[in-house]
Amino acid sequence: MSDTAVLVDSVWKKFRRGERHDSLRDLIPAAVGRLVRGPRPASELREGDFWALRDVSFEVKRGDALGIIGHNGAGKSTLLKILTKLLRPTLGSYVTHGRIGALIEVTAGFHQDLTGRENIFLNGAIIGMKRADIQRRFDAIVDFSGVGEFIDTPVKRYSSGMNARLGFSIAAHLEPEILIIDEVLSVGDFTFQGKCIRWMQDVLENGTTVIFVSHNMDAVLSLCNTAILLNQGAITASGELTNVVAEYYKSGGQWRPELLAEPMAATIDFSSSLGNQIVVNPGQRVEFTHTLTSSIESELTPGFFVRRGGKNVIESTYARMRGHPLHLRAGEVASIDWSLSFNVPAGVYEVGYHIRDIEGRYHDHQNGACIVTVGDDPRVKSESYIGMKLDERRDGELVLGPASQRTGRAP
Amino acid sequence: MFADIKDATIEVWQHRELLEQLTRRDIKLRYKQAAMGLAWAVFMPCLIVLSGLIVRYAMAQISGATLKQSDIANIAVKGVGWAFFVGALGFATASLVGNSNLVTKIYFPREVLPLSSVGAQSFDTSIGLLTLIVVLPFLGVRLHPSLAWVPLLLLLLLLFTTGVSLFLSCANLFFRDVKYIVQVVLMFGIFFTPIFFEPSMLGPRGAQLAMLNPLTGILEGLRLTVVEGRSLLHPISVVVKGVERPVWEPLELVYSAVCAVAAVLGSAMMFRRLQHLFAEYV
Repeated sequence: MSDTAVLVDSVWKKFRRGERHDSLRDLIPAAVGRLVRGPRPASELREGDFWALRDVSFEVKRGDALGIIGHNGAGKSTLLKILTKLLRPTLGSYVTHGRIGALIEVTAGFHQDLTGRENIFLNGAIIGMKRADIQRRFDAIVDFSGVGEFIDTPVKRYSSGMNARLGFSIAAHLEPEILIIDEVLSVGDFTFQGKCIRWMQDVLENGTTVIFVSHNMDAVLSLCNTAILLNQGAITASGELTNVVAEYYKSGGQWRPELLAEPMAATIDFSSSLGNQIVVNPGQRVEFTHTLTSSIESELTPGFFVRRGGKNVIESTYARMRGHPLHLRAGEVASIDWSLSFNVPAGVYEVGYHIRDIEGRYHDHQNGACIVTVGDDPRVKSESYIGMKLDERRDGELVLGPASQRTGRAP
Repeated sequence: MFADIKDATIEVWQHRELLEQLTRRDIKLRYKQAAMGLAWAVFMPCLIVLSGLIVRYAMAQISGATLKQSDIANIAVKGVGWAFFVGALGFATASLVGNSNLVTKIYFPREVLPLSSVGAQSFDTSIGLLTLIVVLPFLGVRLHPSLAWVPLLLLLLLLFTTGVSLFLSCANLFFRDVKYIVQVVLMFGIFFTPIFFEPSMLGPRGAQLAMLNPLTGILEGLRLTVVEGRSLLHPISVVVKGVERPVWEPLELVYSAVCAVAAVLGSAMMFRRLQHLFAEYV
């Protein structure tokens, strides 16, 4: 078995602007015209035609996560529609090895008059699940969606969030070999988004091949390992992830110089004391550990951020708290113990990290490495902050005592 | 050509659970929040029988004959068959356009959409058939060996309906006026199909013309085997006022069978060849 999951070879797709003939009355003159002039070659553009995809070629290896990025109208969705067999390329060809599952408009198969239970079976069958599989995963689907006791209520009575969550949950249990995702990770509230991010990471760890379309560069950076950039239907950058993302920002006028490509000299490991999905009481401490190694002598700055609703609540780096970057000799192992106390209003917080060198170039960037759900406590309303402390160990020995930082925020 | 049909058959077979789910959906939706419930399934055949009775009564008045029990049975048997054809086409024609959210978003063999419409209509019709089984003995219909023809005739009706459904659902996707044309044709189709009358009533020439309609062989076959207990292997004719009028020709059955099989194969092939355009044109 080859290690290629998807191979796209010089695909072109032609679309037509404006209206088509859609009644018999319009067809007859068009058909007569075609008879008189003879058929046209597929590669020829007539008036009103345009290329939605031009000479698109790429390969996705088994287990890879490919990000497809580009501005609106770049041809991302057209490409996905071709890969999911909804459209046929005008020219060129592609092959896929493995069962394809798509998370695109996850509620398309719902019928509003049917109950959640009926829709699970219907929608499951539509996206290609066997009845026995749906039955086996039924409880997991309901559980994941959080729809609970409303499962026997017609979905027309659901809120739009419940609708989307149920749709996502069904699709998430499809277990395909190649997973195609189009901007659906932004479904539901923040708790559910946390679940989705966890789920995505599980999927990637299980070796599923993923093709991911998104405008959210943070998500692309954290989930994908390779990317292509589409611009007006053509691939303008491909390969190394940060390179492609940088090109995207450049083409959109938002140049982020720190995203320059760099061979990963340093590696970082992340772990938390309580697992990666945590429920805490306000004020409770959570320990996170960064373990860093570098193949060459380097000056690095691991950083840490806590986000809520996509906005940073607190962000700090080693350099900011210590006043100097972390010096690593070649092969040395350093571990940084971060201790965070969440003295904040109830809610779901996403903890992420990154590692940069002194020139500001990213070596690693991870959103949603840990999801922290903070419980309710009325005392927090008067004083709200996240405290941050760090200890540093080299080869297991404590070398530097705590440095701390507090970030307050109005509740 | 046969490669297309083979592909379609394999793919639909692989998606048989989807076909079942969509059929269930269509059935559920017909009876959910519906005031008439299951009575709906016999409503249309009842209306057809009633209109047929009025026509036959008027005819009997003019000719001075009386309306027989077997006339009611004749119309009922053919009426159920016609109701199936009309109902299935009505739903199937709109099936692709009505599910455009699926057609543009998710890949599966699109044949299952019109097929599920036919399937749901089959459910309705089987209720009609059960009613018929209960009612017919009261109209003087007895068990005959000729009833063995019925499964074959129903199969031909199903095949022909499926073929036309595939064709019309696809045509309506590209040209939205097809739906209206179908409505009009079906509304008057009952006069071009021998439901209220028998082809022999049209005279020798008229009977031959009526037999051009592929449904004639199927519905007349049902009538002759169920109500009259006749075998379809031999020609049947009646002598009216000294003129012999053909009632049945075995060739009619062959003609209907050829039409039914051709309709299914032709439509399935056309459907297969065009379905890659559906998402773009719907």
